Amino acid sequence: MAARGRLARWAAVALLVAVLVALPSVVAALPADDADVPAADLRAAVLDGADVGFSGYAVSAGGLALPVSDRLTAAADLFSDRTLMRVWWRGPDEHRVDVVAAAGETGVHRDPGGTWTWDFEAGTATRGLPASLALPAPPDLLPAALGRRLLSEATDDEVTRAGARRVAGRDALGLRVAPAEPASSVARVDVWVDPASGLPLQVEVYGEDAALPALDTRFLDLDLAVPPADVVAFTPPPDATVLTAPDTEGLIAEAGERAPDVSLPAELAGLPRRSFTGVPGAVGVYGRGVTLLAAVPVPQRLAGGLREALTASPEAVTDALGTRVAAGPLGLMLVERAGGPAYVLTGTVTLDALAEAARQLPGAAS
Amino acid sequence: MIGVELRKLFRRPRTWVTIAVLNALPVLVAVLLQLTDLAPRPGEGPPFLSAVLTNGALFPLAALAIVLPLFLPIAVAVVAGDAVAGEAQAGTLRYLLARPAGRTRLLLAKLVALMAFVLVTVLVVAAVGYVVGTTLFEAQPTGGTTSVSGTSLTQTELAGRSAMAIGYVTVSMLGVAAFGLFFSTLTDSPLAAALGALAVLVTSSLLFTLDAASPIAPYLPTRYWLAFVDLFRDPVLWRDVVRGLALQGVYVGVLLAAAWANFTTKDVTS
Amino acid sequence: MTPVIRTRGLVKRYGRLRAVDGIDLDVRAGDVYGFLGANGSGKTTTVRMLLGLVLPTAGEVELLGERMPRAGRRVLPRVGALVEGPAHHGHLSGRTNLSLIDAAGPGGSRRTRRARIEQVLEQVGLGGIDRRPVRAYSLGMRQRLGLAAALLRRPELLVLDEPTNGLDPQGITEIRELLLELNRGGTTVFLSSHLLAEVEQLCTRVGVLGRGRLVLQDELARLTAPTGATVVHTPEVTRVRAVLDGRVLGADGGRVVVRGADPAEVNARLVSAGVPVTGLALQRPTLEEVVLAAAGTSADRVEGPR
Repeated sequence: MAARGRLARWAAVALLVAVLVALPSVVAALPADDADVPAADLRAAVLDGADVGFSGYAVSAGGLALPVSDRLTAAADLFSDRTLMRVWWRGPDEHRVDVVAAAGETGVHRDPGGTWTWDFEAGTATRGLPASLALPAPPDLLPAALGRRLLSEATDDEVTRAGARRVAGRDALGLRVAPAEPASSVARVDVWVDPASGLPLQVEVYGEDAALPALDTRFLDLDLAVPPADVVAFTPPPDATVLTAPDTEGLIAEAGERAPDVSLPAELAGLPRRSFTGVPGAVGVYGRGVTLLAAVPVPQRLAGGLREALTASPEAVTDALGTRVAAGPLGLMLVERAGGPAYVLTGTVTLDALAEAARQLPGAAS
Repeated sequence: MIGVELRKLFRRPRTWVTIAVLNALPVLVAVLLQLTDLAPRPGEGPPFLSAVLTNGALFPLAALAIVLPLFLPIAVAVVAGDAVAGEAQAGTLRYLLARPAGRTRLLLAKLVALMAFVLVTVLVVAAVGYVVGTTLFEAQPTGGTTSVSGTSLTQTELAGRSAMAIGYVTVSMLGVAAFGLFFSTLTDSPLAAALGALAVLVTSSLLFTLDAASPIAPYLPTRYWLAFVDLFRDPVLWRDVVRGLALQGVYVGVLLAAAWANFTTKDVTS
Repeated sequence: MTPVIRTRGLVKRYGRLRAVDGIDLDVRAGDVYGFLGANGSGKTTTVRMLLGLVLPTAGEVELLGERMPRAGRRVLPRVGALVEGPAHHGHLSGRTNLSLIDAAGPGGSRRTRRARIEQVLEQVGLGGIDRRPVRAYSLGMRQRLGLAAALLRRPELLVLDEPTNGLDPQGITEIRELLLELNRGGTTVFLSSHLLAEVEQLCTRVGVLGRGRLVLQDELARLTAPTGATVVHTPEVTRVRAVLDGRVLGADGGRVVVRGADPAEVNARLVSAGVPVTGLALQRPTLEEVVLAAAGTSADRVEGPR
């Protein structure tokens, strides 16, 4: 008698637990509505949606552990860690992105005149000028920004449709970019787009033969209303230390002057050279869209430190051409030849393509 | 019934000793911070501690952040583990049930008393933190308090958000209390029940740091504990706070149901 | 008479062990019922099942005419209990302990609480108790306080497990007087004990538990009724045998058991024959003899294989 009552009560509890445990997976398994939108139209919608205002909460997770020196850890962490971002977007030059950490946050407030970077734990507000070239920063990893950038240079025959899924509570349509270049180390990029606004909600970058994305950035919450201006604006609080960011343009120009004087070829590993504003002449950028390769001549003293960092990685390959290592789809190579200048080659290309590029680099100053 | 449990809990010297010990750590930290003037480096140390040097009014939050990971859950686990098992060990449980107190009612009264204990404890920590913070450090140089996002909060906003944070921390501890209460119905040893609840917390904290456990991370009871910091962002980041409240609600519901299923059908032989 | 406690086929199994094995208790209103049994015979388990602390594996319990444990909320306020020794919160005073236990359940009016507490403290002899915490009480004082808690709502039924434990002889007499007085006032007392003497002095009905079974349940008066023989104390046993030829059932030292339910007649025959008689009584079995005959060996004896 008592045993039966006991069993019934425990069964009720077990049922409750089962329902609660099953609930998240049931919600996650809710099918998303696919719509019959051609890939080219969807891509066009994404490229047109640059001025869409929104606010939301995004997470980016990367498996790209870059073997770089201490000076670049902030940028390297972006690709290897889980970064939680809150974003309020009024336009390309008026937005705010807060990187949320357990005990603080770092907020980047962009206004037409530049950026304010607020660091809560250090109590600093740093004013920077808009720069045409800068190290990757959290805003670059937002699905909206990254997806648009990766789609912008894709050709129509590289882009196909890839079903639909639910992202941030919305039905998102999939666009798959498979780069045509044989040198590319990226197998495909999946961009999941909100068809109404053209806003990419999730971007997944897959390396070759990888089941898990090397980089996955997506919105967790999204509100498609233009956020109020006072949320985006920033005034340094009275007790903050106000700093001025170093002038990146000047630094880059200086670095370009100090770099060994070489002339880089017009094509490396089958990728054509291209020019960006702000990139000094000593730096060569090759490729297109998802497949990019940068070649930078470096002074010998920098090369030493980099070699140590690279060889510390157990997967590094060292041969007569130099030392190369891959972190997911991202390849990095230090080219060192007796008598010649040292180069750093890096980009989303295979290790074989890096070796090929290394052979094509000019051996000495011409 | 609830009144009886509250009287039992708060007339017990051990309850107040626990609360006093709990306050010792933040006070010690405050004194050391005052003497050395060395703020923790960014990314290290409990939230808000580095901000306390310039604004003592933030110390209640720093004090909560200091006791939240370990001291507060231990205190809650010990008191919760004692709830039923302590009565069983002392032999008073059989008299309560023969009174009759009603087993379900007793469980609910115990839970309410535990909630009251958590709330009083958190309030005392915050109050002591406020007194210590405003005496040892500058109260407020310019009138407004800087939020985590770098905006200025008025005194009213700060008080409101502090009250919400106190409420949130209290709710965060209910999961621990529910674990302790459930284990307390399983055993007649208060120590075993408290250790059981602590084992769950240690497991949860450990799994939270483990990448392999990331699929279950959102369901770990300690997952959203630090989300009270989100209340001091501007605008408030509600996502984790809401999830934290819901998760604690689910844990309390499930564990209370399990405690009920066990306790109402259990032979009381103590 | 209405049954105050009635069980039918009450069974409690712990795994393969049958701690209580089909008990049919019958306690009537006005009884002082002695529940006897050796240690481990299932006494405590039965008492706990009566109060709804332990849930029976099979069988029914009726308390004051209602099914337990279902009707516990209606019935138990009318029952006072002392189970396996008193238990209190050591850091609180005796009065606070009583006040808390009274407030913990239904049927204890807040208005009369203070007066009732003073009254029961007076009844159990703790009227002058101060604000000392119970921790500082002696064993006997705690026992009295436990009894006070049981009496707090003037129950119709008292279920007491070893109520005189830890009391000195004066205390035992006092408590016995108190229980008898309560019983005269209409309270039914269910007294579980292994002290035969205590039960013999207090109880009107007796139930004996042996190895989980109720081996005996009857009026004490009937159990210890005269056997139809007379006990004669004499220094000259052989002459008794000679005078009462064939009627001597047994002799042991100066004690001779003689068939015949009339001591006067036995006395007359012996005295007329000139046999000195130093003592004369109707033979009655002691409770001890009855219990031993019914229950057999002690349950905590562990026999080795033979």
